[in-house]
Amino acid sequence: MSIIRTVDLTKKFDEFVANDHINLSVEPQEIKCIVGENGAGKSTLMNMLYGTLIPTSGSILIDEQPVKFKSPIDAMNHGIGMVHQHFKLVPSLTVYENILLGTEITKKGLPLIDSGEEIRRVQGIIDEYHFQLKPTDRVEDLSVGQCQQVEILKMLYRNVRILILDEPSAVLTPQEVDRLIENLKDLRKNGKTIIVITHKLREVMELSDSVTVIRQGKVIGTVMTKDTNEQELAQMMVGRDVVLTVSNEGGMPSSDEVAYRVEDLHTINAHGAEVVSGVSFEVKKGEVFGIAGVEGNGQSELVKLLTGLMTTTKGRVYLEGRDITNLWPDQLRKAGIGIIPEDRYGQGLCQSMSIPDNCIAGYWYDKEVCQYGVLKKKSILQRAREYIQKYDIRVASEQGYVSELSGGNAQKIIIAREFESHPRLIIACQPTRGVDVGSIEFIHKQLLRFRNEGYSVLLISSELSEIMSLSDRVAVMYKGKIIGEVDPKTISTSEIGLLMAGATSQRNEVPV
Amino acid sequence: MKQSSLSSKFSGVSIKVINSLLPVLLAFFIGGIIIAAIGENPLSAYGTMIGKQLFTAKGLGNTLHYASPLILTGLAIAITFKANIYNMGVEGQMLLGAFFSGIVGSSLSTGNAIVDKLMCFAVGAICGMLFALIPALLKAFFHVDEMVVTLTFNYAMAKVLEYLASGPFRDAGAGYVCTPAIANSATFSRLGKSRLTLFFFIALAIFLVMWFVMKRTKLGYQVTAIGKNAEFAEATGMRVRCKIIILMLISGALAGIAGSGYMMSEQFRYTLDFSGSPGLGWDGMLIALLGRHSPVGILVASLFYSVLKTGADTINTYTSVPKEIVAVIQSLMILFLAVQFLNERFGLIERFKKLRAEKKEA
Repeated sequence: MSIIRTVDLTKKFDEFVANDHINLSVEPQEIKCIVGENGAGKSTLMNMLYGTLIPTSGSILIDEQPVKFKSPIDAMNHGIGMVHQHFKLVPSLTVYENILLGTEITKKGLPLIDSGEEIRRVQGIIDEYHFQLKPTDRVEDLSVGQCQQVEILKMLYRNVRILILDEPSAVLTPQEVDRLIENLKDLRKNGKTIIVITHKLREVMELSDSVTVIRQGKVIGTVMTKDTNEQELAQMMVGRDVVLTVSNEGGMPSSDEVAYRVEDLHTINAHGAEVVSGVSFEVKKGEVFGIAGVEGNGQSELVKLLTGLMTTTKGRVYLEGRDITNLWPDQLRKAGIGIIPEDRYGQGLCQSMSIPDNCIAGYWYDKEVCQYGVLKKKSILQRAREYIQKYDIRVASEQGYVSELSGGNAQKIIIAREFESHPRLIIACQPTRGVDVGSIEFIHKQLLRFRNEGYSVLLISSELSEIMSLSDRVAVMYKGKIIGEVDPKTISTSEIGLLMAGATSQRNEVPV
Repeated sequence: MKQSSLSSKFSGVSIKVINSLLPVLLAFFIGGIIIAAIGENPLSAYGTMIGKQLFTAKGLGNTLHYASPLILTGLAIAITFKANIYNMGVEGQMLLGAFFSGIVGSSLSTGNAIVDKLMCFAVGAICGMLFALIPALLKAFFHVDEMVVTLTFNYAMAKVLEYLASGPFRDAGAGYVCTPAIANSATFSRLGKSRLTLFFFIALAIFLVMWFVMKRTKLGYQVTAIGKNAEFAEATGMRVRCKIIILMLISGALAGIAGSGYMMSEQFRYTLDFSGSPGLGWDGMLIALLGRHSPVGILVASLFYSVLKTGADTINTYTSVPKEIVAVIQSLMILFLAVQFLNERFGLIERFKKLRAEKKEA
């Protein structure tokens, strides 16, 4: 008997069918992974199970009883809890206060909170499920992995039987991922059922009992984890054979000539905290230089500094000897830097503008598209047409809006725009985030081709496998500093994981 | 595929037009009920108004004449709305521009018709720009909400000008509060029998320039991008802060020119009800909303609005319907436009539908 089952569950957004007759069944006490590319409809499905979206048709059965959720409260009452990708915690409160938020225990007959009892109860569940947390710690002092544990505890305290986790490993170091996997397996032992949405196949293999693959809103298949492998799952996700990791072998050896130099960069954020403190590195010609690190260790700010969105408080940046510190984004592009920004729809593209308009963003200095402040509509359209053909961008209409494109095709517009301006250096930040496997392969190949032509790439990504397989050298960032530089070909994942967690190993220690 | 995208494009345009017309039609419909209650035939009353204002030479001339400042104030507001900035201070900027071009036109006249007019326009534009610069700088450097600042500045400016007009700059010879009349060389003379002057063609020329700027230039592109996605604009190097200031300056200049044009072609001196009620700046806001911030929409909307304004007298003269009916229709239009605006911003109808669907289920 399934603990949770959906029958022909369908969700339409106007014409668009996000979920098409989904039949999913989860057995009690199993760990079920739902995999699929971004935009495949995983999140839509989970949001229906959790009551944040109301299905267009079809039904959800819990213990074979049909249920209708109108809000997450209904789902919670049926024992379903969800841990979102972005945590919903109050940083200034303690662990136990966060866990009991909204269900505080009061002293008998008095409107006062019984902290002692609250701490005792929270300690109880922490012990029960072997979590490493202290109830009285403040959430703002916790690591990302610990915050996630608090989120899970919040659900466990509310006695959920079914726990849904949305991309739980996206923000964790490899070590934290391992701990999470252990925790989840413990929970299963204690009788919980767990559904995990992910697109990281390695974790699927380690964690789950069964896997359901979703593609374009439809269930492609359900397999037992022990009967499958990563390659097969990837193929099911994309619908064809894919190269999982593009190897960077075969390029010409990096020269010793420095293309890009960053010297002792410092900056503070809006709250006055120093978020980048003394970053220095060099990118050589014909080299992919990777910067790895757990999200939130200053990489975003470093990228903002390097792409003209923040100003430095100290330090300089040189491109081929020319000082380009604190230039505006358009000046940087003119100076020969291509920018693939972190947030595609925030910084890279304007969704409610047309494809041709997006193709010239940042390159108005180009006399071919804009002269004396007047845009040349014809040549802009011509340029868009070239990009669409050359980069195989699938569009319904050449002059359509970017919002009509899938994540991968939208990213290809940025790739085309930045590469076709013939820069000397590409700053690629999370270049494949939220992009389908096919486009990942394409983008990786483009970056390597660019490198092989003798230009440089600065790659910043939280996707460790991406950094490791593409880069010639990797620097690891921790708390606003570069704490070590490693050779991706010789270092093991666990070693780099330790670095990412802030532990400088013997051989990477910088002599003082 | 081609067919469907074409038809969807077409239906997109027609939906836009319908959306613009709906508040107007509703206002006219309810106005019609009132006219019927008075005992007149609404269709013939409306027919008289529109016919006289659009299809007689004199009426059309007057319509175009009164549309001239409205085109400019409408543009002044629309250009900022497009970038998601709200210059609600067009009224104040317009008044300031008008006031000082009136003062300059009366006291510093050179006697040369062209020089005087250019001078007045320049003074109007500069005044409007300077007054718009304050909220622009506050917005760009201190993130002060420009909507609040510009809105409240209108009232402050009206009071300051009232003081100036009744004190330091008062025309001592006049029996009411006003500034001295501008010199003959600074006034636009009428073309033909109607009130139409050259100012309309100047407004039209400015309109064409603005249309070109919005549709075909880098600035227009950037304004659109800032309005749609400010982060994107910043990340591609559009210098959003600087563009906000430029936009507010353009907006202020348009408002100031509207004021000095109205001064030189219609009022000739600053009086306390120079801009009428509601003022030209407020009318401009309605026009920008009616025209959906698109240049062509604004042109059509200001012509239409001018028909309404001038039509008040026609309806009074030719029918037994009092002229206040026009004010009623205007207010209804504002009401319906506001509802539509809120609906587009906050999805009121969607929420209502959802609520009802949930109730039905329960």
